[in-house]
Amino acid sequence: MAKQLITLIVNGDSYEVAAAPHQTLLEVMRDILNMTGTKRGCTAGSCGVCTVNGEQGEAILSCLALAVEWDGRPVTTIEGVEEGDKLHPVQQAFLEYGAVQCGFCTPGLVMSAKALLDVNTDPTEADINEAMAGAICRCTGHIKVKKAIREAAKALREREVNDGAS
Amino acid sequence: MQLPPFEYIRPESLAEGLQALAEHGDKIAIMSGGSDLLINMKFRLDGPEYLLSLNGLPELQLIEELDDGSLRIGAGCKLTELANNALIKERYPALQAAIFSVGSRHVRNMGTIGGNICLDTRCWYTNQSETWRDTRDGCFKTDSEQCHVIKTTTKCHALSSTDSGPMLIALDASVVLASQAGERVVPVREFYQDDGLDHTVLEPGEVLVAVIVPPPRGRAVFAKLAQREGLDFAAGSFAAAVSGSNEKLDSVCLVMGSVAPEPRVMEQAGKILMDAGLTDESIDAAAGAARLSLDEVTNLFTPPGYKKRLIRALVKDALTELRDQAVRG
Repeated sequence: MAKQLITLIVNGDSYEVAAAPHQTLLEVMRDILNMTGTKRGCTAGSCGVCTVNGEQGEAILSCLALAVEWDGRPVTTIEGVEEGDKLHPVQQAFLEYGAVQCGFCTPGLVMSAKALLDVNTDPTEADINEAMAGAICRCTGHIKVKKAIREAAKALREREVNDGAS
Repeated sequence: MQLPPFEYIRPESLAEGLQALAEHGDKIAIMSGGSDLLINMKFRLDGPEYLLSLNGLPELQLIEELDDGSLRIGAGCKLTELANNALIKERYPALQAAIFSVGSRHVRNMGTIGGNICLDTRCWYTNQSETWRDTRDGCFKTDSEQCHVIKTTTKCHALSSTDSGPMLIALDASVVLASQAGERVVPVREFYQDDGLDHTVLEPGEVLVAVIVPPPRGRAVFAKLAQREGLDFAAGSFAAAVSGSNEKLDSVCLVMGSVAPEPRVMEQAGKILMDAGLTDESIDAAAGAARLSLDEVTNLFTPPGYKKRLIRALVKDALTELRDQAVRG
C-alpha cells in the first residue's frame, strides 16, 4: 500500500510521480498530473471515455490499468495527438463532420479511432465497428462518428500518397 | 469507483510468483490483464490483501507448436494478439471467432486468454455496485446463505461467461496448471465445476500458465448472442466441433456457455448427431434436446424462458452452419 515512485511517459514527456498500487493510470493522470483531457466515465470498462493509446498505439482503458504497471511505458492521450499547431486528421474530421455534440466522450472516441487508423488507413465498415464498439457516445449517435472516421481515413491515405510523391 | 488498497506484487519470474502464491494462501488474487478482476474489486466483490500481477510476464506470453502438432498458448497472451494470430486463424477459425467475440477491442487489448478461461462467474444480483447490492440481503457470493435467482437452491448459480472456455472444451484442449509442487495438465472439460463460488479446479497456490490445443480434427463453429454484440458478456453461447462426414460423424462435442456456473457439455444432443449425422431433422432434434437439458437457468439479463429459447435457436443456426461448411468444402 506504500506509494511507489514511478515514471509515467505521457505524450513523450516523463513525469516522476508517487503512486499507490491501487491508483489507476486514469486517476494518476487526472488527479496528480492534472491532465484532464482523458475523461472519467463508468470506471468499469464499459464506456471507453478513458481510452488512451499504449506502447504500440493500441487502445486501452486507463480506468482498468494500474499506474504502477505503466512505469516507464509510453502512453499517448488526447493532449498528445495534435500535430504542432494543427489538429490531428481524426480531430479535424470529428469537427468538420459534426461528430461532437456535448464532447464528453470525444477524447475516448478520438483515441479509439486513432488506434485503428494508425495501423489501418483503409478500414472496412466492420473494422470501424470493431474498433469503436467499446467507446460509447450517448448524444451524437454513432453515424456521424463513423462518417468522420471514414473521412479521416481518406485524409490520411491522401497524406500517404503525397508523402510518397515528395 | 476507486480500487480498494492492496499490497502489489510484481514477480520477475513465474517461480517468484508461485512462491508469493504459496506464501499468501487465500489472501492473494492473481491478476493477468485486469479487465475483469479490477472491476470486481471496484465493485467490492473482491478485496484481496495482496495482488499478484502476471501482466506482461514473458514466460506466459509464448505461443509454440509442440512436436505432436498441438499449439501451446501462454496464459498471458493478449486476446487481440491471439485473434490476429495467423496460425490460429488458419487452423482454429472457430477458436479465433470465440476469442474475437470477447468484450470490446479495448478489453481484448488488455485481457488475456488465461484470464478469459478463469473468468469469474457473474450474476445480475452481485455484479453491481456496492450501493446497489446494499438494497437487498446478501447471497452466497457475498455474505448470506441464499440465492436471489433460484430461491430453493443450496448453492450459487452465478453464470460462467467465458467465451473461450466452451470452444476449448469442444476442441478437446487442456490447461496447464502450475504451483510450487510442479505442473499438472487438466482437460478444459474437467477444469470447470458446477458451483458459482468455486467454478474451477484451481487449488490455492495454483495458477493457469498455458492452454494446449490439439491439432484440428474436423470442423468447428462458435456462436454467441449478447445484448450488444460489441461489448457485452454472452446471453448465451455455443461451441461445437465435429469430425467425419455429414452423413456419418466420427466425433461430436457440443458445449453451451453462459447457461450455468460452468460451460455445459450437451451429451444428449451430441448423441442424436452421432446416431443420425447432420440433417435438418437431427439438427432440429439436437436443438430441442439442448433446450430441454437446461433445467435451472438463471436468466441473467433476460426474461424467464428467454435463455432456453435462445439456446435452441443458437444451436440450430450454428449446427446448420457446421453442416454447410462441409458442403462448401
